[in-house]
Amino acid sequence: MTNTYKNVYVKDTATIAGIYEANGPLKKYFDKTYTKDLYFGEKSWEKAEIKLLQDTVTTLLKKSRLKDKDIDLLISGDLMNQISSSDYAFREFDIPFLGIYNACATSSEGLIIASTSVDGKKCKNCIVSTVSHNMAAEKQYRNPTEYGTPKPETATFTVTGGAAILLTNEKTDIRIESSTIGKIIDKGTKDVNHMGAVMAPAAADTIYRHLTNLKRTPDYYDLIVTGDLGKYGKEILINYMKKVYDMDISENYNDCGTMIYNVEQQPVLAGGSGPACSALVNYSYIYKQMKEHKLKRVLIVPTGALFSPTMYFQKESLPAIAHAVGLEVVEK
Amino acid sequence: MIYINSFLFCGVVCMISQLILDNTKLTPGHVTSLFVVIGAFLDIFGIYDKFVLYCGAGAIIPITSFGHLLIHGAMDIAGEMGPLGLAFGIFNLTSAGISIALVAAFFLSLIFKPKH
Repeated sequence: MTNTYKNVYVKDTATIAGIYEANGPLKKYFDKTYTKDLYFGEKSWEKAEIKLLQDTVTTLLKKSRLKDKDIDLLISGDLMNQISSSDYAFREFDIPFLGIYNACATSSEGLIIASTSVDGKKCKNCIVSTVSHNMAAEKQYRNPTEYGTPKPETATFTVTGGAAILLTNEKTDIRIESSTIGKIIDKGTKDVNHMGAVMAPAAADTIYRHLTNLKRTPDYYDLIVTGDLGKYGKEILINYMKKVYDMDISENYNDCGTMIYNVEQQPVLAGGSGPACSALVNYSYIYKQMKEHKLKRVLIVPTGALFSPTMYFQKESLPAIAHAVGLEVVEK
Repeated sequence: MIYINSFLFCGVVCMISQLILDNTKLTPGHVTSLFVVIGAFLDIFGIYDKFVLYCGAGAIIPITSFGHLLIHGAMDIAGEMGPLGLAFGIFNLTSAGISIALVAAFFLSLIFKPKH
């Protein structure tokens, strides 16, 4: 399902990152960084994640000089059970709320829902936010850090950060131009330590459908950027696109998981992951590049492994999804 | 000689577990359980007792020793009490280890907080 939008603009973004991201190459693009530890003054990882999300949306409201009542809809999702970080974070906000879950593709799911609502004139100002926290995610999906499990090179490192974007129907420099909703793709892979391989086929399917539905070639975009495939998943996607769809995207393709860290120098294995990974890169670095007109058309394709530990223990394979959202600089 | 034996035995156990971790999808939890079971089996005909005799601490420290002690304790008490002794004796030799681990874990968790 591919849609184009006429009246959806990006008003502003807010990004807050943790210490590992602050040590990475994109530090100067974030609005704020927490560099002391990963607790942010809270008692647990989960509470730290909630604080991060509240802080991100508060920063966004402050930057755009809007109050709670000016926002018609807030869409948010995260990695915790029952998307509890979002649910608990917005108790103190006076904004209508929709909670969503698409693992690491949550930000794009939110963008699509928000764009459709704004384009359909159902709302004027809509915030889409997401958050992830390395330690909270480790506890939720893998093992607590105290367990000290060694991980293979192909594993990714969950990004600690919060990212929010404000969509509006008033004209600004950047607009959301098109989107494609992904399908759940499951190729039978069972390796939780190689999410890049799990998600690459989903990303490939979505990119291919997006481009063919809109009759475009990969070079229509200045940059095609996937969510969190990591350095191995990135190679898999390029080869997979060539082999299965006969499409070469290697020229203008990159992956947020490899952009957010110095993958070779930092202790992050194959690169970053988590819903905040793609959202942080897209809303900070890519957004600013577009504001400066260094990039004019960008296709962001956040990728998510819809992996449930319960189903994994019952020996099920890992489903994956990717949604594509096209951003464009508005020519004056 | 016992020093060399000890070094070699413990080293071989660790090498096997590292090989398993590097080449299979098993987790440290699997490997630990596997070694407990292997240790228990090696109590048959007193094989593990021989290792302890010749390798000393090298055979006592790895987790295989835990499996060996489980069966050893159970069999000892079973000899005195009959089949019910299996249940009474299973933690006979290992109870000190388990209790210390529990108490130490409790106090350490009070003092320390996980960091990144």
